[in-house]
Amino acid sequence: MTESAAAGIHPQPTAASTPLAPTKLQVRDLHFYYNGFHALKGINMDIPEKKVTAIIGPSGCGKSTLLRIFNRIYAIYPKLEAKGEIILDDENILDTRYSMNKLRSKVGMVFQKPVPFPMTIFENVAYGIRHHERLSRADMDIRVEQALRSAALWDEVKDKLKQNALGLSGGQQQRLCIARGIALKPEVLLLDEPTSALDPIATGRIEQLVEELKSEYTIVIVTHNMQQAARCSDLTAFMYLGELIEFDRTEQIFTKPGKKQTEDYITGRFG
Amino acid sequence: MQANEAALAPTIAQEHRAHRDARDDRMFGWLLKGCALLVLVSLVGAAGATLWGGREAFSTFGWGFLTSSEWNPTDDVYGALVPVFGTIITSFIALLIAVPVSFGIALYLSEVAPPWLRTPVASAIELLAGIPSIIYGMWGLFVFVPFFSDHIKPFLIRYLGREAGDVPGTEHVSWIAQHLPFMGKLFNSENLFGGSVLTAGIVLAVMIIPFISSVMREVFQTVPTRLKESAYALGSSTWEVSWDIVLPYTRTAVIGGIFLGLGRALGETMAVTFIIGNKMKLSPSLLDPGASIASTIANQFGEASGLQKSSLMALAFLLFVVTFIVLLIARLMLRRLAHKEGR
Repeated sequence: MTESAAAGIHPQPTAASTPLAPTKLQVRDLHFYYNGFHALKGINMDIPEKKVTAIIGPSGCGKSTLLRIFNRIYAIYPKLEAKGEIILDDENILDTRYSMNKLRSKVGMVFQKPVPFPMTIFENVAYGIRHHERLSRADMDIRVEQALRSAALWDEVKDKLKQNALGLSGGQQQRLCIARGIALKPEVLLLDEPTSALDPIATGRIEQLVEELKSEYTIVIVTHNMQQAARCSDLTAFMYLGELIEFDRTEQIFTKPGKKQTEDYITGRFG
Repeated sequence: MQANEAALAPTIAQEHRAHRDARDDRMFGWLLKGCALLVLVSLVGAAGATLWGGREAFSTFGWGFLTSSEWNPTDDVYGALVPVFGTIITSFIALLIAVPVSFGIALYLSEVAPPWLRTPVASAIELLAGIPSIIYGMWGLFVFVPFFSDHIKPFLIRYLGREAGDVPGTEHVSWIAQHLPFMGKLFNSENLFGGSVLTAGIVLAVMIIPFISSVMREVFQTVPTRLKESAYALGSSTWEVSWDIVLPYTRTAVIGGIFLGLGRALGETMAVTFIIGNKMKLSPSLLDPGASIASTIANQFGEASGLQKSSLMALAFLLFVVTFIVLLIARLMLRRLAHKEGR
């Protein structure tokens, strides 16, 4: 890793050697405490706009924890505490005055296992929109269709929008969850191991979808599948024991990693 | 080849064993079937026995037994309307109070309360469920009813109903009763003391809250964390997550819990007998004393004979019918809701 100017200021590397795009999410000296356990130890990173950033690392390294701070979903639990700054569009989202509603409309999240709500397919997508906007029936129909089209699901479900979403296959359910997330027109989309519960074909479709979505959204994807990170991300961050070890362009990380630990991990020597 | 076949053929011991297993399984199957049949037999038996016991009342009064509000042992004339109405209205009041309160308790315990508080409160609720109904009855009669008559009843009559004056024509009609005439009827009473349909409903609510809330709490805990997190991630508040996600997800079990409580309220005897007032008179007012099926039976069974005894049996049969209808309504409700969700 070549030391960039930004990395020189901070003790840890923060961004790719040459910026790919303007920074969307700026993480500054982020610490996270889990019932007193120091789970993240001073993370600094600049996540570029409209690129796919993958976060990899062995189980328990804090990669999901980091992702869950980006939309402050951790805040629904007591005794969890984040210190530091995460700047999104010039505002610190960790500031308690920052509106949770605004944050969640700007930063969408898709979870590990597909979790459709116990409602119809249509309602699953419309549900989130209703929290943030009042739309007429016709406008809502259009928005739902758009979201389902962007999630490459429309053709499969257009005839059964009024059916319960639990009747879809696992891969379809996960795309429905992505549709639900992008229906809010967020700026950042967080994907927490989105394919770990899916078969290879469904995984392929999701990866293809990620590729298509990055023209519009800043995507951060946590994965423990290194091939997936190599296949669909522009940048890759490697984390280990709560620290960000290395953060660089994906091809750099996978061909010429700067740190010994990164090399050991991607070559399968530990983790 | 020869050796192979010999190895495949079961030995005598194995054959013996397989034979014994099949026999044991068959016997176990019969045993289980017998246990399950016992439920059906006792249900049909109880319903049949009450119907048979009430045949005299049904044949004497016909359909009039259901529609007559007269219950007069002196003239040997009996009608079931007052107790049936009392049973339904007290249970309805109980549900009206118990369901929202239980929902709140269960939500607080499963979603909001700090972990150290959850277990003690949950155990306290289970303890409440174990209190015998006679104790609720005593508490109702000696503590709650006097308090209600002194402090709450005058207030309800003054602000929700109509208050009779000393001289005819000087009655005070509350603002609400002026605008909603039925409220005046519901909260209008000349009986200043003693139990009433409303007090019975309230005590019933206290009695069934532990049942409903502990069922709700248990099923709320089965909602996957990821499902709730997904809703939070879309910007939902705790209330919206509870109402839109947790409740629909657990709906069948929640309705099951409510009907468990309702079942208890419909048949509750001791506590209701103590506090409902036991008056066989149909009154639209919730503040007037009334009677329920169970309280009527408990009060009169000892000295009843002939047609009166038969009428009490017929009442017992009607309690079966009421419970059955209520369960049927629950089924239909569930099916309609499921249909709305696209299942």
